[in-house]
Amino acid sequence: MEKAARGKKDIVLGYVQSLGTQEHRSMMETAYVYGSRYQFILITGGPVLKHLGVNESSHSSGVWFLHCRVHSGFMTPMTPERCPLTRMRKPLSTLSLHAFLQLMEAPLVSEVYDDPSSVQPPQFPYQQTPQVFLFSRPATEHLDLDTATALAWRLRGLALLLLVHRQSPAVRTPDEYNAAYRLPEKSSEVKYLTLHSLDEVLDIFINQEKEEEEEEEEEDEEEDDSHFGNVDDEIAATVFENRGNLLDMDSITQLTSENFHTAVAQSSLTVALFYLKWDAVSMAFLSSFIEVAELLADSEVHDVQMSAVDCGEWTDLCAAQPGSAVPFQPITAFPSVLLLRPRESAQPYRGMLGSEALHRFIMMSRADCPLLLSTQDDVTSFLQDVSHPELTGYKPDRVVGLFKTHTPTGLQVFTAAAKSLRGDVLSGLLTDGPAEKWAAGLAVDLPAVLVFPSWRTHTHPSALPASSSAEELLTHINTARLHPMPELTVENLPSFLWLGKALLILFVGEEEDEIGRRQNQALVEEMRGVVELGGWRMERYLPCWIHLGRTPAGMSVLGSYLGSMPPLPALVLTHLPSGGGVYQYPPNTPIAASSVLLWLQRVEDGAESPAGTLGEDSWPPAADFYDFLNIMDTQEADSTQQQSPKEEEEEEEDEEEVDVKEHLVSNEATHDNLDSNTHSEL
Amino acid sequence: MDPSLPCLLLFTLVGSVVSSFDSRHHNSTRRYGYCVLGAGPAGLQMGYFLSKANRDYIILERNSGPGSFFNKYPRHRKLISINKIHTGRRNREFNLRHDWNSLLSDKPELLFRRVSSEFYPPADAFPLYLSMFVKELGLRVQYGVDIGRIRAAQSAAGRSYILTDQHTSDYTCSVLLVATGLWVPQKVEFVGSDLVEGYESISTDPEDYRDQAVLILGKGNSAFETAQSILGRASRVHMLSSSPVRLAWQTHYVGDLRAVNNELIDTYQLKSLDGLVEARLEKIVIAQRKEQSRRRSGGGKKERKRQLYLTLKKYVHSREEKNGSDVTGEELPGHHIDNFPMRKPYDRVIRCLGFRFNFSVFDSSACPPHSENAKGRLPGVTAWYEGKDTPGLFVLGTAAHSRDYRSSAGGFIHGFRYTARAVHRVLERRYHSNRWPSTQLLTTQLQSWILKRVGEASGPYQMFEVLGDVVLLRGSHCEYLEEFPIQALPQFSSLSGREVSSHGLIVVVMQYGKKKIDYLGRSRAETDWTKAWQSNFLHPVLYYYDTLPTEEEMKLRPPGWPLPRPKAIHHMVEDFLTEWDGPISHIQPLRRFLEHCVHTDLRAFYAESCFRLSLTHRKPPQFCQQGYLKHQGVPHSGRPRQHVHDAGPAPAEQDAGTSGADPAFPNYLAPAGASMSSGLKLDL
Repeated sequence: MEKAARGKKDIVLGYVQSLGTQEHRSMMETAYVYGSRYQFILITGGPVLKHLGVNESSHSSGVWFLHCRVHSGFMTPMTPERCPLTRMRKPLSTLSLHAFLQLMEAPLVSEVYDDPSSVQPPQFPYQQTPQVFLFSRPATEHLDLDTATALAWRLRGLALLLLVHRQSPAVRTPDEYNAAYRLPEKSSEVKYLTLHSLDEVLDIFINQEKEEEEEEEEEDEEEDDSHFGNVDDEIAATVFENRGNLLDMDSITQLTSENFHTAVAQSSLTVALFYLKWDAVSMAFLSSFIEVAELLADSEVHDVQMSAVDCGEWTDLCAAQPGSAVPFQPITAFPSVLLLRPRESAQPYRGMLGSEALHRFIMMSRADCPLLLSTQDDVTSFLQDVSHPELTGYKPDRVVGLFKTHTPTGLQVFTAAAKSLRGDVLSGLLTDGPAEKWAAGLAVDLPAVLVFPSWRTHTHPSALPASSSAEELLTHINTARLHPMPELTVENLPSFLWLGKALLILFVGEEEDEIGRRQNQALVEEMRGVVELGGWRMERYLPCWIHLGRTPAGMSVLGSYLGSMPPLPALVLTHLPSGGGVYQYPPNTPIAASSVLLWLQRVEDGAESPAGTLGEDSWPPAADFYDFLNIMDTQEADSTQQQSPKEEEEEEEDEEEVDVKEHLVSNEATHDNLDSNTHSEL
Repeated sequence: MDPSLPCLLLFTLVGSVVSSFDSRHHNSTRRYGYCVLGAGPAGLQMGYFLSKANRDYIILERNSGPGSFFNKYPRHRKLISINKIHTGRRNREFNLRHDWNSLLSDKPELLFRRVSSEFYPPADAFPLYLSMFVKELGLRVQYGVDIGRIRAAQSAAGRSYILTDQHTSDYTCSVLLVATGLWVPQKVEFVGSDLVEGYESISTDPEDYRDQAVLILGKGNSAFETAQSILGRASRVHMLSSSPVRLAWQTHYVGDLRAVNNELIDTYQLKSLDGLVEARLEKIVIAQRKEQSRRRSGGGKKERKRQLYLTLKKYVHSREEKNGSDVTGEELPGHHIDNFPMRKPYDRVIRCLGFRFNFSVFDSSACPPHSENAKGRLPGVTAWYEGKDTPGLFVLGTAAHSRDYRSSAGGFIHGFRYTARAVHRVLERRYHSNRWPSTQLLTTQLQSWILKRVGEASGPYQMFEVLGDVVLLRGSHCEYLEEFPIQALPQFSSLSGREVSSHGLIVVVMQYGKKKIDYLGRSRAETDWTKAWQSNFLHPVLYYYDTLPTEEEMKLRPPGWPLPRPKAIHHMVEDFLTEWDGPISHIQPLRRFLEHCVHTDLRAFYAESCFRLSLTHRKPPQFCQQGYLKHQGVPHSGRPRQHVHDAGPAPAEQDAGTSGADPAFPNYLAPAGASMSSGLKLDL
């Protein structure tokens, strides 16, 4: 196998203890997406393991990457006839495997001419990977590169290696250091050290790994302890696993009933997270929230105060009753994030509960809302990222209102809508003369609201119909922002599902190379052709596509639609208003606009039979509850039953009790009480 | 001491001058929506709620200041209601669990701790606190109004109550809230009961008991408090009542003997001349000895201290003469049983039998019946504290304790401050159409909310088994009502103004275990959540009903249960820290119970899972519907440390094996082997 693959494909070798496990599944899913790029091998035991140096009784799955494709010149000298191999050190899961494979694609050694401190932290998809810096001098350049390559091989899958050329004037690292590294969690601080041997670097990372592994092993043991002990809620499980790690709350302000008003008054923008310690989602989000706080601090954003309210403690503040007026309603859903500005009512954050989305929202919220534009130049710079250079990377959608100031009716509606979109959309306001001039150029009349979605060129805004209320305008704006032929992602799916249309989804796989990329591009173009050709008939459909490499969650969607994994690309029609049927475009027919339309027509006519169905809409509890009543019935049957309806019984009992007392008193013979349990001495 | 206190007193003084000025119109009838009788803790508590709701009310008090009971009682001037200031927590609600003296208000600082920092505070601090409460909340109290007669009148406008004071002024009220407390000493009639001193009038100077033998009738806190104060001076202290001592730390009832007062138990058990005895008071006779007194009276030495003997009714010969307090030697029990424990005489006999409700001011048209329990000392009231047969007349405070006599805290400030609030909510509903306040929650938030309540709520914690939170299930959302008197559940809809839907309801109650155990023994606490129903200490219990229980069902509920047998029950295992936030022991079992009640999966899912479930189903699970589909998905954090057995990217399918929605392992992967090679036997 190895020989066959030599020079052509890298091999991914997976070992799972048994088939049908989560690990097996992760392996298969990954193979499906990356199948064209790597040779996948799955083993459940045998001599291969021994060869790999694995003790079969260790009961842990493993993945090895065999670098068979690499040019021999780049190979390590250790076993010339064997492909060099890298073991994946993280526990096997779809996500970790993805990350691992992506890491395998990273350049072994990158050469830089910057100081380590100014080298960017690793970019997607390597953001969780540590960086190691070695320094090179012009005199020993080749030797240094060899050393770096040797170390890089040993660090492969653990860290990225960067070779810094000292002769560059940008490098300011003192000569006493010959190495440096940067860990992903600890913000972006670079640590410098002086190495005497390469093993020292290895120690740093391998020890770290070991600690983590040990931790996990401990956890495994604990979890095995009780069969009731499994947390079956995925978010709760993550939080439960990380319960040993204390969150570092230093970067956020703790808001309390006492400091709330002063804290909010101090900052132009306070972002407040209301959380409950026992709510797993709260705790999962709290760590993302802290990440954002650290990121803001690191990027020198000082006008935003990140804060949190522990609603388990400051229950009166969260109920909006700390004894004085607060600018928000009682919090009844956790976690909740409010954006507080002095003397303004709170704005709720309505985005994804993750660090990336929150960070983007906060950065966008810092912009004026709406930004007052007074000249055509203002407009141009507003539309071209000039007025907010820090937001360039976010590709924000923009909205511009064009109004006459003496007829402010629509203006209020626009301002209200802009306020509620703050953080999500950049909004600008242009009035009177310049507004009229610009509107005339675009052939619209004032008042007008123009939407500039990020996916469209700035010269073609959507002009919105007049709206009587902010809600109506919001709906119009949000509809105009939607891409007509979107790539569905985890983040944007809800916006499109909201349209309630049937979904015509094209699934494409991870591209192997430039050719693959172009093929996928062509497919997406063909889908656009379907829209154009179909015209009004396509209005009830949302044509869209899912890139399985970028959105691996799409794989199991496809699998669940069709019952098996079809060859890619695959075109599927689902979420039809008529029923739960899922239809697959004939896999061996080329995807061409005209034939797709014909196929859609046949589906509408009922001439196609569904390839699968949507799942049921009822979600019964996944696990049985612990029926205490039943257990009490079996163990103490008498105590759990309603009494029989005869009232006299009770009274009789009472009398009996009285009798007992009388008995005690009238029978004062002191000897009796030696046996009795009461303290009676009479 | 707090330097502001003298000022405060001054203010109170001025305040009462003003109010007496107001009340100078004699013989006129004044009309009020609400009359609160008594300016003690319960009356003022209700006054606060009425004042906050802007109701037409008046608080009538016969003394010149609030809480006058506490000017005299407890006689030895130490409150045994704890004033725990340092809880280590800043949660106001939670801290009230350990503050047994403060009243409820929306002023965070209006707490008892302002007048005393002592754990067992001096009794004088309490009227001081009440004055502060009246002053700072501006409550309308009319002092010096001694109501001597209360009668009901029926008119076209409905029933009203007419109160007549000592100046024959009338006060007409639509609703009468009786918060007069208990202050009439409870007495038991037996031969010689006239020879007995009462707790209300005994000397509190221990020197007066020097070298005396004292018999105390009663074994409650007032009896033990008295015993404790004279322990160092009296020669013998014996305590007698019909039943053995009930220790609060064993019965979990704060009205039973508190450890702070139990020194005599120590001296009894260590055989240091003190003792406890059981006998029914109706059967005893307290008497002086005939012969002795006759012989010596001739000598003219009248100063000789009288000696009181205890004997039993059956030994005493019946005699016609009224003054039957002198007995002969043959009538003493020692004559019949030579080792009778109480054969020696006493210098004093003190009655410490507690207090009873003053029924005497009520005209028959307005008189609530005597309670069936508590020896009829208390008025009988409905589960919502309205007098039985006296609509519009409610009983508050200690006098309302017949509902939970000897079980919960309804007779004590830290309990009845919550029942007063419940009564006020009933009033608001009945007379002003304001429904019981509720919080609307998404069903996916219910678990967190319940955990929040059981972790901090003071009302159900103090008024365990009496007040409970009611959750009205409505499908994707629910309504959460706090602190409803659960015995009134059959009348829930009319009392609260809220309807129960076909989804049913959950009642969250705090309960103690019912088993008598060794309370300090090894197996006293249960830690295994699967045995939560055997928890002995206070723990939350959830009752799920698909419809409201009927009155009949309530009456016939299983013995010892606060509620009838439900459709499903869930005990949350007792927690040493009373925090109930363990992910495995508390949270997950609770979630599964709630899932059972609402028939739906309530788990949280990452955005990736919601993405998948939204595309493969028309509707994803509730958590995804209420979060992810509203753009509030939870992305799986970048850190790929997520190796969890069930919680990979496809947990639902794993677990859904039981529900049959998806196969346990996706078989669609099998044919995907185009790029797979079986490497099982591969030799490299």
